[in-house]
Formats: sequence, C-alpha cells, structure tokens
Amino acid sequence: MSEPEDTKLVAAQLEDDIPDLPRPKSGFLPIETNWFDRLFISVVIWIALSLFWFRFVEPAGLSIWISNAISAALAFFIIKKG
Amino acid sequence: MQSKRLGWILLAPTLAILFLFGVVPFFYVVYVSFHSWNPFAVNPEMIFNGADNFRQIVFDQAFLNSVGVTVMFVFFAVVSELILGYFLAQAFMRDFPGKAIFRTIHTLPLIMAPIIVGSVWKLMTTPSIGIIPHYLDEWFGITMNIGTSVPAAFATIVIMDIWHWTPLVTLTLIAALVSLPPDPFEQAQIDGAGKRQIFWHITLPMIAPAVVATVFIRLMDALRTVDEVWMLTGGGPGSATRFVGVHIFKEVFPKTNYGYGSTISVIVLYLTIVTCWLLYVTMLAPRNKRD
Repeated sequence: MSEPEDTKLVAAQLEDDIPDLPRPKSGFLPIETNWFDRLFISVVIWIALSLFWFRFVEPAGLSIWISNAISAALAFFIIKKG
Repeated sequence: MQSKRLGWILLAPTLAILFLFGVVPFFYVVYVSFHSWNPFAVNPEMIFNGADNFRQIVFDQAFLNSVGVTVMFVFFAVVSELILGYFLAQAFMRDFPGKAIFRTIHTLPLIMAPIIVGSVWKLMTTPSIGIIPHYLDEWFGITMNIGTSVPAAFATIVIMDIWHWTPLVTLTLIAALVSLPPDPFEQAQIDGAGKRQIFWHITLPMIAPAVVATVFIRLMDALRTVDEVWMLTGGGPGSATRFVGVHIFKEVFPKTNYGYGSTISVIVLYLTIVTCWLLYVTMLAPRNKRD
C-alpha cells in the first residue's frame, strides 16, 4: 500500500525545516561531541588550569601567561581532534 | 520560511526576557569579578584589578572551608533525598488506606518558603523551648544544642533539607515510574528475574533521565542554599555551617565587597556547571553513544 501524496509532501517540508545542528563526531575524547561541547570542555580546562596555576605554580615565579598559552594550545587540540 | 519567521516571532519575548534577566546579569557579574568594588567605601569607584580576585580566592581559607562544608552537605542531602524519594515514590505507586491524605501532607513542605522552614526549625531546635531537644533529652538523655555542637548543627541542616525537598524528588520519580511501560517488567518476571535484578537492569536505566534531571535540580538548589541555613544557624557554630551561599552573603552584604563577592559567585557557578556536566556525561552520555 502506497503512502498518500500529501503525507510525503508534509514529510519533505518537515525535513527542510530541520535546522543544521552541529554534527557529533568521535575523537580521542571518550564521548561523542560537537564543536560546542569541545569548546565548553576547553573553557572548563582553561579555568581549572588557571586556578591551579594561581594556587601552586605562580608563587614559584611562573607567569599565568604560560598557563594561558598551554590552555590555548590544549583548546586548539581538543576542538580539532577531540 | 514563513513558519521559521513565525517561530522566531513567537520565541522573541521569551528570548528577550531570558537575555535581559539571565544573560546580561551573568556577564555583568563576570565583569564585576575582575574589579575591586566597594560602593559604600570612601572610594566607591569600580577599579579593574585583572585576575587579582581569582588569585586571592585560591588562598582564601574561609572560602575553601565553605566549599568543603557545602560539598559534604550536598552529598548527604541529595543522596538521602534520592533514596528516600525513590522509596516513597514506590510506596505511592501502591494502594493503601489514607494514601490521598498522606500524599497531601507529604507534599506540604514544598509549598513553604525556605526562610519559613528555617524559622520553624529554629523554634523546634532551640534548647530551652524546642520540641526536638526536649524529647531527645527526655527519651534518650541526649543533650542537643545546635548553637554549640558542630555535628548537631550540620545534621539538623541536612535533616531540614531532606524534610523540605524529598517531596519534590518523590513527585518527579512518581511521574517517571507511572510513565514506564509494563511489558519489560512482565517479561522479566516471566524470565524469573528477581526484584533486585529488575531494579538494577530495568527500572533504574529506564528512569535514569528523570533521576539525573532531579539530581541536577537538587544539586543546583543545594549548592546555593542560604536562607534556611541563615535562619537556623547563621553559618555557625564558628564557621561549621558556613556554606558558600552564606559565605557570599556575608562577603557582599555586611562587608559590601561586591567585586570579591562576584568572584566567589562566578567560581561557585563554575563548580555547579562542571559538577552537573560530569554527572550528565557519566550517567547519560555513554547511553546516548550506545543508542
């Protein structure tokens, strides 16, 4: 039994209405992520590393900019390969 | 194209309100957290001080202690509420005499404002006039004073939170349990599965999204508890029940230290988001990947 023609048309229109969502991908992270998830993970790591740096590393004389550089490199790596 | 535009028009008022009252204040707090600002001091100007507030916060022993106390409180309160809420939800799934009345009474704490709950519990636990210390002393010979005993104050706050918020957990879990299809349970029983196996392998995985949502709500609420604790113990004895919410309150209102208070708020928000995200990833994300 074939589908009624108008049902097909409605289905086609609904498919057109679906927005382009970020596509999940599998990288080295243990979960499927889209680019926004990886950006979020990078920001979380950046803040955690900065606080850790303030508490334990900066008193030894190493500037926070080193932590920022590491975080930026890590963020680039996570967003590209995560 | 027409339906897309209509969708955006219908969403616009909500998005505008959300932006004005949610997004703008958030970015303003982040902006203030990078400043030294005491509007009631001799110099009321907002002075940019880079990340100095964040430098200060990682060495602030009072703040770190408050985070530790809050984590302990959240753990004991949320885990107890979840277990108790599940058993109550299972009880309400069965018929028993007086079920409707019991369910109404059980839900009553939910409609009380937290500050009222704090006041009522303050009256109930004050040593000279409170009903709880009176009967603890009369029946068990236990002297209870939340003004001097740290374990008593902490336990009272946890019990008060459980009393106040378990009905919410019960209601959400009842909704989750009612929506479960009967077929998998019947099939499991036919295959000879025990009650424990049915719980771990069928019930729990099927209600997991509801459990996670409930934990999120309770976790976020418990992490920013202020009014109940403020009324009951005021953060004492000493700083034993000085949760992060109380710590922020003391920093912002009595000290009028808006810059540093904002920094603490940002860090607490960060901890809340990370905790919820980790919980989501560990409980639901593997499931999504499997699907």
